[in-house]
Amino acid sequence: MKRQPHTWRYLSVAFLLAVLGIAILVQIVRIQNSPEVAGVINQGDYVWKDFFPPRGEIHDRHGSLLAGNKTVYEIGLDLTVNPDMPTVMLALQMSGIDLNEVNYRISLAPVNAQYIILDDFVSTHKAEQLMTLQKAAHSDPTGKNLDAVYFKAHYARSYPENDLASNVLGFVTEDNHGYLGIEEKYDNILAGIPVRMLVPADPRRATEYPTIPPGQTIILTIDRKIQAAIEKILDQALVDTGASSGTIVVMDPLTGEILAMSSTPRLNLNDYQSITTVFPGETPFNRAISQAYEPGSVSKILTMAGALDSGAVQPGTVFFDTGSILVGGFRIVNWDGGAWGNQDMTGCLANSLNVCLAWVSSTQMGSDSFYSYMQRFGLGHATGIDLAQETSGRLKLPGDGDWRPVELGTNAFGQGVSVTPIQMVMAASALANDGQMVYPHVLYAQIQAGKQSNTKTQIVGTPISANTADTISEMLANALETESSAALIPGYRIAGKTGTAQIPLSGGGYDENDINATFIGWGPVDDPRFIVYVWLEKPQSNRAASVVAAPIFKQVVEKLVVLMDVPPDVVRLQMTVVPGSSTGIGR
Amino acid sequence: MNNVTQIVQKVRQAPWRVQHQWIGLFLLALVLIAMVAGIYLNVTVRATLAGREIQTLRNEITPNQRDNADLETQLAGLTSFEAVQQRAEAMGFQPTSPDEITYVAVPGYVAQSAVDLSTPSSVLGLPSSPVILPEYTESWFDYFMNQQASSASAGGQP
Repeated sequence: MKRQPHTWRYLSVAFLLAVLGIAILVQIVRIQNSPEVAGVINQGDYVWKDFFPPRGEIHDRHGSLLAGNKTVYEIGLDLTVNPDMPTVMLALQMSGIDLNEVNYRISLAPVNAQYIILDDFVSTHKAEQLMTLQKAAHSDPTGKNLDAVYFKAHYARSYPENDLASNVLGFVTEDNHGYLGIEEKYDNILAGIPVRMLVPADPRRATEYPTIPPGQTIILTIDRKIQAAIEKILDQALVDTGASSGTIVVMDPLTGEILAMSSTPRLNLNDYQSITTVFPGETPFNRAISQAYEPGSVSKILTMAGALDSGAVQPGTVFFDTGSILVGGFRIVNWDGGAWGNQDMTGCLANSLNVCLAWVSSTQMGSDSFYSYMQRFGLGHATGIDLAQETSGRLKLPGDGDWRPVELGTNAFGQGVSVTPIQMVMAASALANDGQMVYPHVLYAQIQAGKQSNTKTQIVGTPISANTADTISEMLANALETESSAALIPGYRIAGKTGTAQIPLSGGGYDENDINATFIGWGPVDDPRFIVYVWLEKPQSNRAASVVAAPIFKQVVEKLVVLMDVPPDVVRLQMTVVPGSSTGIGR
Repeated sequence: MNNVTQIVQKVRQAPWRVQHQWIGLFLLALVLIAMVAGIYLNVTVRATLAGREIQTLRNEITPNQRDNADLETQLAGLTSFEAVQQRAEAMGFQPTSPDEITYVAVPGYVAQSAVDLSTPSSVLGLPSSPVILPEYTESWFDYFMNQQASSASAGGQP
């Protein structure tokens, strides 16, 4: 057989193609098994990775940031490379890092530690200074560099408004746990939990990367401008009256949205470590929800509302005040010890007559009806407001071991019963909102997966009828006007009531020197937009709430009508929007 | 007829023809193997590069998020109530009182309502995770089936 002369060409082509094919296969195998790749990535390899998802932000109702996040650094030292400790310590000192803390941490490190954390939650400014020193020392010919120093950035909570609304917000500690206020109540949805997870190192498996959800952002019902205004008013009130503490709550009576809530003292949340200094002993963090007290005459509005609703009395019912009344074997007298003669129910409220209200509860209503209404108003039970550490106060009931018959009379004017300001605000919302009592809340909305879900208004009960609510509001507005109260605001019709209460002593009896001064009110009466609660504890300038608390209420409302765009009644009624039109009120 | 058969048989059995047939088959096999290997290598390299880019971008997301959080907090500090109030007072503004305000009816005026921080729908439509092209994930069988399906739908009823 004779070989064809051009066969060698075919063989050459075949050989080259074979070499090419084999080369490709060899390259594939080589890449898959190369030591370079194997050293970094092997299919199926996983590496540990730290995830620090940000904690959810907290905004006020208009979007202002109340609680956000900032970057801080953990500074560590790799001991396996035998770092030059004097150089490291000098650099730390030059960067402004607390060497006492560093030395303490070093002293706690185990003997064979390979890596120690020198400091944590170091500010960006200090960390950047240390990084600059590290770069400068990197090429040090003597080998005294800072290459063993490692930086691990992570989040820390930051409060741009410092102490604004601090009693509502609460704070977050370095272990990323929320304490008090909103931060504690919604810790589970706010917290972006830092996790350390195995993730695939192989870039071809990048889609298997775990998704660590960040904390949810929430929006509060709080209005930053109103909050700042009431805090300023409250601070000045303490100075002017010498009160030991104060509380102001502003709520929308139609929705239960807390527009502002403040009590003293307040804490700069960026310096939460000072809490033990700012709140010594058993000082409540937020008195509006955590401190129950005997409110005094402000609770007469609930007694009268219950009496009117039950038909026990009418606004025109006349009571002849002799200056005292016996209830349960004890004599009850008026705040001034005087006898006020014939008084209708508006007069009883306007003159804040204890004798009249004790007569209403004990003689006209009876204990079953009276306590039934008090329970329907929520007294004795926590409101369930979405803030941590709410207390429920105490409403003793017939049958309780420590209830005495006289308390049917004293409870009618707010003595012998303890409530928190938020309980009174919730109860009064029924009077301002056509008999419907709303659930007070601070969460306006939460953002989940980019979508905002707003908190819906919840009616927690209808303790009185709409007719009764209108009647009691009118009576209270008339009462303020009759007594020319210091709470009156020109141009606006307001319903309200003062409360001057004695303070019970732990050993029994009442404090002869100090009182609690309270004012609760809402307005405008025909279309309530706000309900305001003012409580000053132990004011020294005067012992009458009408003198110390009512002016504070007036100052708050003067701010509210401006900040909430509430025109005077005359203007508002002239400009009332015609249904279906788009005309509104501007200023 | 016999002559024709003999000629065909001679041609078929010619050693150089048999050799060419084998070489041709071998070359065809080599070309196929080279094609498959080349495509596999190409796809693998592109997938790896894309994966590496994803990893890099993921690593960049974290510091970017931290920077955003820092900047947002700094901005909030600069526009905090106290800071704004101080600037306003320095500029000569002062808080107003109810009796200084004149109210007017404004057709179409909408009172300020609470904020809506929902992510705009245009942004919500974006994929939350990187899209991996089907070329990197589908098999040959899937590819041919998809091609067939797309061509069938393209030529289908309008």
